[in-house]
Amino acid sequence: MTTTNDNAGTDRKIVTFSLAQQTFGIDMRALIEIREWDEPTPLPNVPGFIKGVTNLRGNVIPVVGLAERLGWEPSVIHARSCVLVVNIAGKQAGFLVDEVNDIVAIGETEIQPAPEVETIEPTVIAGLVRIATRQKDGTRDEKGTMVLLLDLDALSLTKHLDLAA
Amino acid sequence: MSDELDEIQAIFFEECAEGLVTAEQGLSAMQAGDVSAETIAGVFRAVHSIKGGAGAFGHADLTAFAHKFENVLDEVRGGKIPPSPGVVKVMLSAFDILTDHVESAKGLAPRPADQAALAALEQVLANKGADDGAPVANSTAPAPAAVETPAAPAADEADEFGFVPMAVSLDDFDAPAEAPAADAPWIVTFKPSRAALANAGEPLLIVRELEALGAETVAVDTSTVPPLRDLDPEDAYFTWTLRVPGEVSESDINDCFDFVAPDSIVEVRRDETAAPAAAPVAEVAAADEFGFVPVTAGVEDFAAEMQRVVETIAAASPAVGSVDTPAIAPKANSDAQQTIRVDLGKLDLLLNLVGELVIRNSILADRLSPADRQRVELPELARLTRQIQDNVMSLRAQPIKQAFSRVPRMLRDLSVETGKTINLETTGETTEVDKGVIEKIGDPLTHMIRNAADHGLESAEERIAAGKSPEGTIKLSAEQKGARIFVRVSDNGRGINRERVKAKAIEKGIIPADAQLSNEEIDQLICAPGFSTAETISNISGRGVGMDVVRSNVEALGGRIEIHSVPGEGTTFTMILPLTLAILDGMIVRLAGQRFVLPLAHVLETVQPEPGQVKRTAPDSEVIDMRGEYVPVKRTTEIFGLNDDRAVEDSLVVIVESEGSGKVGLVVDTIDDRREVVIKSLDQNLHPIRGLGGATILGDGSIALILDIEALVASTNRYTPKGLAA
Repeated sequence: MTTTNDNAGTDRKIVTFSLAQQTFGIDMRALIEIREWDEPTPLPNVPGFIKGVTNLRGNVIPVVGLAERLGWEPSVIHARSCVLVVNIAGKQAGFLVDEVNDIVAIGETEIQPAPEVETIEPTVIAGLVRIATRQKDGTRDEKGTMVLLLDLDALSLTKHLDLAA
Repeated sequence: MSDELDEIQAIFFEECAEGLVTAEQGLSAMQAGDVSAETIAGVFRAVHSIKGGAGAFGHADLTAFAHKFENVLDEVRGGKIPPSPGVVKVMLSAFDILTDHVESAKGLAPRPADQAALAALEQVLANKGADDGAPVANSTAPAPAAVETPAAPAADEADEFGFVPMAVSLDDFDAPAEAPAADAPWIVTFKPSRAALANAGEPLLIVRELEALGAETVAVDTSTVPPLRDLDPEDAYFTWTLRVPGEVSESDINDCFDFVAPDSIVEVRRDETAAPAAAPVAEVAAADEFGFVPVTAGVEDFAAEMQRVVETIAAASPAVGSVDTPAIAPKANSDAQQTIRVDLGKLDLLLNLVGELVIRNSILADRLSPADRQRVELPELARLTRQIQDNVMSLRAQPIKQAFSRVPRMLRDLSVETGKTINLETTGETTEVDKGVIEKIGDPLTHMIRNAADHGLESAEERIAAGKSPEGTIKLSAEQKGARIFVRVSDNGRGINRERVKAKAIEKGIIPADAQLSNEEIDQLICAPGFSTAETISNISGRGVGMDVVRSNVEALGGRIEIHSVPGEGTTFTMILPLTLAILDGMIVRLAGQRFVLPLAHVLETVQPEPGQVKRTAPDSEVIDMRGEYVPVKRTTEIFGLNDDRAVEDSLVVIVESEGSGKVGLVVDTIDDRREVVIKSLDQNLHPIRGLGGATILGDGSIALILDIEALVASTNRYTPKGLAA
């Protein structure tokens, strides 16, 4: 994969993806792999956003509907739907997203804190960052796109589920 | 950095645990009369390395206690203190305190009260009478008073026991009872390995340590230092030659080199040119005979050298003269096996990958044409894959002695609490079981041992009155039969008083007053929830939770308990457990189309219900008529909230037996298959889910969930005695 790299002092890479018409990003370091959507085995007695479990090279990992988890309308499965397999504090989980866009390098200083919003649970948005997006013809769109950086630790399934269970 | 240190510290604690096991086995062997040099040296080494590591990590209390313990062991090893039963007893108590100190160093327990044990060790040191104050570099050398006590008896003893040659045993030949202090100084040559610094073997620290013993650096060979352009600042190049005063014991010098990197060259020898005349002739002769001066060996060879000397001594001692204790042939020591420490996570990963390989293998077989399937390559591949799988499984297997190791200490405590003298006989400790099983049988084992000590064995008076030896015996054994492991705890006590058990069960309402029970059924009542026959609730057992917890724990592991008791002769409890928790014999069933695994151990029978065989007794409860017996029926699909409008007549009913609820019928769509499945826990990446015992990966790579029968049938049913289950 190519990397857009026009920022001085780039510190980290993020994977960007779309979900409910928004662009989200997660830290590249947490990403294990990207897989095609494959219907997981449903689990009984779990919150609705846990779609089930799937087999990742002999590991049984939960597959989470990230849209539902974040409170959006559930994703509709289509050809480009895929699952981001991430490592959160030593546990692996797959997140269903609508489409994976790019891998982008960003500078730590470019990240703006997420605005305070009144929610019941602590915010899962670690910050906002504007990135230049690539057009279909390979040129840059200078306006760029606002990316919502997800705080994976805040998304930790066990934490949330301990309350739910 | 602190993470790294924590990691190293974690390794240290692991080694401590191993050292404690070794020490305890050695001490138990000594208690049983095996006072061979090898056994004693084994205990010494174990305590010594705990001390060394504790020092390195700054656990002062542990170091101090281990040091005192080591002093006594050193004297015993050197033959200066006879390993009498009294001394061994003191050492066993000291061992218990040492264990507590290790726990305390881990931060898991408060600092133990070790004054009594220290005093007892002091006492042993002081009473030996033999040490005439030879200047061993030893802060806890016996009080001066000890020097004045007549040295003669101990010296005689040493002769009689043929222990004089033991003076060569590294520590002591520089300070024999009759040697004058004017020993020749030591010349120590130390050439650290090039990679010493990379291995955290900072040579300067060792030189400083030697200096603390009074060493002076005589020469530093810098000829090996390369030209600047080739110099790697992270490599070690120097060779030191140091002179250490003659009265320092060789073991103290060698202690300094405990933690040097492998491949370092360490040479310790007497400077014969300096003052050899003072050394007694016999001393030198002994030393020569055993070829022990000078010691020139790479550090790795050192242990082997030591072993060789110990064996030489062991072999020599019968020849020297009458030895009071029979010379015990050196046992094949399992410690000598080469082992490697592997992170358990890596093993589990390997197991997963092998599982995946098995699956790919079967997918491959499915895709090939029947003709190709018959070719030799595929069965060969399948066989190899199976072998790899078996081998990987065996990597997780550990000798069961890890679970047995805490029993001796427990019995010593129980012995004190109950005032009964209890002997322990252990067999089959080397039986290998999956690590998961070992971790989980600890609690049941503890309960069974406590039960045997408290209820099973009679008091000494009762035993004598019954014409038995006043000392009770508890036998602990393990053996493997097929895919099961049998762990037995038997006592030679009074046996189960069936009349009383039955009366108590009736009184507690566990069985009806007119119940007709066989002896075996009565014995099983001991494991019923809330049953306890102890007249008074003792500190040890008798809280009425003991045996039913044992039973539910064992059943949670997929095992069962058998009880065999003969009145007046004793009781045997047998835990029958699966060899591994990683594999389960299962029945693949479908619920609302989805595949699930039903553990076969619970399945009694399967029926295709006739019309009318399943009856509703209430809007939400059904029973099935099983040859006149009404068994409650549960629709698993409802419990799991799955959509299922299949008529019960089109389904199958699997009759399962659960501990908490007896027989229950589970409605399933169909039965697909019966097979061994590899259990994957759900909490590894998620969290446990009620009603599920885990998941498994089927031949096509898809996941099937494993049903937890106990939780399923209990989910709508009465109380289950799972309260204390781990």
